[in-house]
Amino acid sequence: MKEKHIMVMGGGIAGMTAARDLAGFGVNVHLIEKSGFMGGYAIGYTCKATTECLQCGACSVEKALKEVTESPNIKLHLSTTVEAVTSENQKFSAKLKKGPFFIDPEKCNNCGVCYEKSPVKGAVLHGYSKNNHPLYAITAEGIQNHRDFFASVCPEGAISIDAEAATETISVDALIVATGFEPFDPNQKPTYRYAEHANVITGLDMERIKRDHGALVRPSDGQVPEKVAFIQCVGSRDERLGHLWCSRVCCPYALRSAQSIKTQSPEMDITIFYMDIQNIGKDFPAFYEACKNDFRFIRSIPVDIFGEENDRLKLRVFDEAEGTAGLETFDLVVLSIGIMPNPENQAISKLLGIKLDDDGFFAHNDSLNQTLTSQNGIFVAGTASGPNSIPGSMAQAGQAAGEVLKYLGVAQ
Amino acid sequence: MTTSENAHEMEKIEIVTDVLIIGGGYTGLKAADSIAGTGYHVILADQKNSDHQARSSLFGLKADFQNQLDELKKAVNGNNNIEFLPDVNINSATGVPGDFTIRLTSNGKDLEKKVGAVVVATDIVSTPLNHIYGLDFSDKIVSLSDFEENLSSADFKEKLCNNKQTVAFLVGFAQNGSPLLMKRILDSVLAISEAGNGATAYVYINDIKVAGNDLERLYKTGRDKGAIYFKLTQLPEISQQSDAPVVSFHDPVVRSDIEVEPDILVLEEAMTPSQINTKLAGILRIDLGPMGFLQTDNVHRFPVNSNREGIYVIGSARDIQDLSEAWTDVENTVIQLKQLLGDGTKEVPKFRAVVDREKCVTCLTCYRCCPHGAIYWDDKAVISPVACQACGICASECPQEAIQITGYTDDELIDQIRNAISDVKNGDPKILAFCCENSALEAGKAAALFHYELPKGLRMIRVPCAGKVDIHYVLSAFIEGADGVMVMACHPGNCKSETGTTFARWRINNAYQMLEETGINKERLEFVTLASNMAPDFAKIAVEMEKRIG
Ligand SMILES: Cc1cc2nc3c(=O)[nH]c(=O)nc-3n(C[C@H](O)[C@H](O)[C@H](O)COP(=O)(O)OP(=O)(O)OC[C@H]3O[C@@H](n4cnc5c(N)ncnc54)[C@H](O)[C@@H]3O)c2cc1C
Ligand code: SF4
Ligand code: SF4
Ligand code: SF4
Repeated sequence: MKEKHIMVMGGGIAGMTAARDLAGFGVNVHLIEKSGFMGGYAIGYTCKATTECLQCGACSVEKALKEVTESPNIKLHLSTTVEAVTSENQKFSAKLKKGPFFIDPEKCNNCGVCYEKSPVKGAVLHGYSKNNHPLYAITAEGIQNHRDFFASVCPEGAISIDAEAATETISVDALIVATGFEPFDPNQKPTYRYAEHANVITGLDMERIKRDHGALVRPSDGQVPEKVAFIQCVGSRDERLGHLWCSRVCCPYALRSAQSIKTQSPEMDITIFYMDIQNIGKDFPAFYEACKNDFRFIRSIPVDIFGEENDRLKLRVFDEAEGTAGLETFDLVVLSIGIMPNPENQAISKLLGIKLDDDGFFAHNDSLNQTLTSQNGIFVAGTASGPNSIPGSMAQAGQAAGEVLKYLGVAQ
Repeated sequence: MTTSENAHEMEKIEIVTDVLIIGGGYTGLKAADSIAGTGYHVILADQKNSDHQARSSLFGLKADFQNQLDELKKAVNGNNNIEFLPDVNINSATGVPGDFTIRLTSNGKDLEKKVGAVVVATDIVSTPLNHIYGLDFSDKIVSLSDFEENLSSADFKEKLCNNKQTVAFLVGFAQNGSPLLMKRILDSVLAISEAGNGATAYVYINDIKVAGNDLERLYKTGRDKGAIYFKLTQLPEISQQSDAPVVSFHDPVVRSDIEVEPDILVLEEAMTPSQINTKLAGILRIDLGPMGFLQTDNVHRFPVNSNREGIYVIGSARDIQDLSEAWTDVENTVIQLKQLLGDGTKEVPKFRAVVDREKCVTCLTCYRCCPHGAIYWDDKAVISPVACQACGICASECPQEAIQITGYTDDELIDQIRNAISDVKNGDPKILAFCCENSALEAGKAAALFHYELPKGLRMIRVPCAGKVDIHYVLSAFIEGADGVMVMACHPGNCKSETGTTFARWRINNAYQMLEETGINKERLEFVTLASNMAPDFAKIAVEMEKRIG
C-alpha cells in the first residue's frame, strides 16, 4: 500500500479515537488541535465511581490520550489551526498555522515552576493529564504582559518569549472533522443569575471544583454544601432559544455526579429539577430506582434563582400534590448545561465546503450514517455532528475511521 | 520457560478468516455486506426459515427504509462471499479466535463450521404490556405494533379523520422505555395528525425519552400539529365501560379532573433483548449484561466487544439501538475484524502466558477463571496467544503455580518487591503499592508528575491487573520488611478483565486472616480501587497509609 495521510481536526475524544484507529492500520495521521492540550472537554472530567464504576467514560479519554501520545503514526499538532484547504485529484492540501510555541516541548521537563511562580492567574495554563506534554501552556497575552518574568523563570531554558507562529502545508488523502461542541453559556438565561451568584455553578464548574478540591464544595466559602439542587436541561430542549435537541449527556452526568457526591457526603440533601429523565447506562431501571431513593425529583424547571444571605439561593418549587408553589433555599445550585454547536462550525463549514444542519452541527449525508458529510473524502465524528456522550463519540469515531479506510481502499 | 531473552519472541500463525454472523436482521445483513466487502467469507446464520428475515416490521420505520432494506437484502443475496444458513440452531462453540469450531443445525442438518470470529447480531423483540396495565386487547384497545400496522393502511387513516377519532397513547407507566420506543410513538402521533384534519392524538406519558436523533424536534412537530401531551408520573385511571375505555386523571396545575374517552387506546410495548441471548451467552461463553443484552456495562467493552477476543456483539444484541447506531457498530466491528484476522497470518507473542506442562495437573481452574475464554486443553491446559490478554488471573489462581506471564513471572515480581523495599532509605516507612497498569499505576505516575505530596518510602510495582497479585507477593513484601502494602485495583465494573478486582479483593481478605494469625497489624495492608484519572486520591490514600503506619 502506498503511504496514506489523514488529517483529523480536533483533538477531543472523537478525534483521538479516530486517529488511534487509523494509526493501527499504518495510516499517517496529522491530529490538529487548536488549544495547547489534547483531550477536549472530557479530559478534564473526574471519575464518578461510587463503590463501583458508574461508566461515565472519563477514564477512557485518559486511555485514548495515552495511546495517541505513544503512537508513532500520529503526529500531534498542538496550538494549531487550519487556515485554508484546497483539493485536487483526490488530495487535500491544508495550510496550518502553528503556535507560537512559547514552551519548547523538547526542553520542558514539566517541573511546573512557570506555573507556580506565574505573576497572574491564567497566564500559564495547566493540562489535566500526565499525558499532556508539555503540561503547561503560556498564553500570548501572558507573555506580552510579563516578558521579563517569562524570559528568566524556566530553569531548563525551555521558554522563548519571542516565539512566533509558523505555517506548514500538509497534503492528505482524507480528513475527519472532530471539532467538538461548546457548552451552553448560562448567561444566556439571565434569570439564573450565574454571573452574579458564586454558588450558581454549571456542570462544567462542578467538574473543575471536584478536580481541584477532591469534593464538591461551595465556591463562596469552600465548604461542603448541605443542600444542593440540580436544574436539568439548561440550554437544551429550549424552544425560546431555538434549541430543539436533547443534549443526551446532562441527565447522565448530573445523576452520576449526584451519586458519587452522595457517596462522599452521605448527609447531603440533593434535589433534581427536571422535565424528563433520560436513560443512563445498561441497567437504567435499577440505577433510577436507586436515585429515586437517594434524591428528591421534582418535575418542573425553576425559572428564577434569587440570592439570599450567606450566599444561599432561593428557588421556586412547585408542589405537585398541593398544586402550590413555594420558595425553598439551597446552598448550591448546579445548572446542567448542555451541548451546543461549536461557534466555529460556520467557518469550518465554509473552509471545507461541507453543510451544517438546522441546529448548526455538521449535517450527515445519509440519514443512517452520521459520519458521512456532503463532501467525498471528508468525514465527521463526535459532538461536531450533534450531541453525544464519550462512548457514543468514540463509536462514531471508529465508524468514521472505518469509512476512511474504505474510501482509501485500505484492505486488511 | 520464559526468560527475558525470548520474552519478545514472536511467531507467525495461520488463522481462519471466515466470519460467522448470528442473526439476519438489519444489523446482521449490514454486517454481512460490510464484512464480505472487506474480502472475508461470511456465514450468515438466522433462526428463521425463509430468506433473511430482517427485523420483522422495522418497528414502524417509513417506506424509504423498507427500500433500503430491500436493497441490502438483494446485495447480500447476490454476494458469493456470503453463505446464508436458515433455520439455524447453534449447538456448540469451541476453540479460540482465529480458530473457532461451531457446530450448528441448519434446516435440520448438522454442520460444522470453522471460523476466525463470531459476530452476534440478534434482534430485539417488541412485546405487549397490556397485562401490566390490566387491560385486555379489543377493537378499542390495541398494541403499538398493531396500531403501526393499521396506520400503514390508507383506509384506516381515512377513517381516523373522517370520523374525527381520538387516539390515546399510554407510555412509560409500565416500564422506563427508550428513545427507540419513543421514536415509534412520535412517528405514530405525527402520522395521526398528518392524516388530515379531524383525528386527535392524546399522549399520556411519564418520562419522554428524547435522547436520540431528532426526537425533540419530532416531539415539537407533533405538538404543533395538534397532538396533546399529558405528562404524568402516575398511571392515569382507566375505566372500561362496556368496551369503551375512559382515561382520567387529576391535573394539579389547573386543579381539575381531565377525562378523555378515546376511540382507540394504544398501549406501549416493551423492547426486550432476544430470548436466545441467554443460550448464546452460555454456548459462546460471553457475559450476559444486566437486562439480558450480551454485553456488560463496562467502558472497556464499548462499543462492540464481548469479554472474549474474536466474539463481537453488535446492534440490538448489546443494547436497544436504532438502525444508525447499529450501522455504527457494524463499522467498528469491521475495523476490529481487520485487525484481528488481517490476511490470515498473524504475528503473536510466543510466550505471552506459558503453562509448565510438567506442573499442570489439568484441574481446569485456569479454564474456569480466565475472563477472556483464552484457555482450552489437550491433555494439559493450553493458552491461546491470540485470545490471552495477559491479565495473569489464571497464573495467580493455578494451585500448581504452573502458569507464568511474560514480564510478570513470580521470580521477577519477587525480585522487584525485594529491590523496591531495599531501595527505600532507612527511617522512611516502606510502602509497597501493587498497581494495576490500567488505573492505579497511571494515577500514581500522574500524582508524581503533578508534584502531589507522596510518602518518600512509597514504591509502585506494576501489575497487568490486580488479579495478578498473589497472596504470596503480599506476604513476601511484609517478610522483606515492608511497613505497609497497598493493592490498588480498578473500580468494580471497570476492570478490563471483568473479574480482576473481585479476585484481588478475595485474596486480600484471605491475607487479612493470615496477617491476624501471624500477629501483623491489619492496618498495614489496604485494598483500594481507583481510576486512572484519580491522581489526587492516589496521593491522599498513600499519605494516609503513611500516617497510619508511621
Ligand atoms: C458538563 C458536561 C459534563 C459531561 N459529562 C460527561 C460524562 O460524564 N460522560 C460522557 O460520556 N460525556 C459527558 N459529557 C459529554 C462529553 O463532554 C462529550 O461527549 C465529549 O467531550 C465529546 O468529545 P468531542 O471530541 O466530540 O468534542 P470536544 O471534547 O469538544 O473536543 C473537540 C476538540 O477539538 C478542538 N477544536 C475545536 N475547534 C477546532 C478547530 N477549528 N481546529 C482544531 N481543533 C479544534 C477543541 O479544542 C477540542 O480539543 C459532558 C458534557 C458536559 C458539557
Ligand atoms: S466512573 Fe467513569 S472515570 Fe470512574 S472508573 Fe468508571 S468510567 Fe472510569
Ligand atoms: S439529557 Fe436530560 S438534562 Fe440533558 S437535555 Fe436531555 S433531558 Fe435535558
Ligand atoms: S490451573 Fe494450573 S494445574 Fe490447573 S489446569 Fe490450569 S495450568 Fe493446569
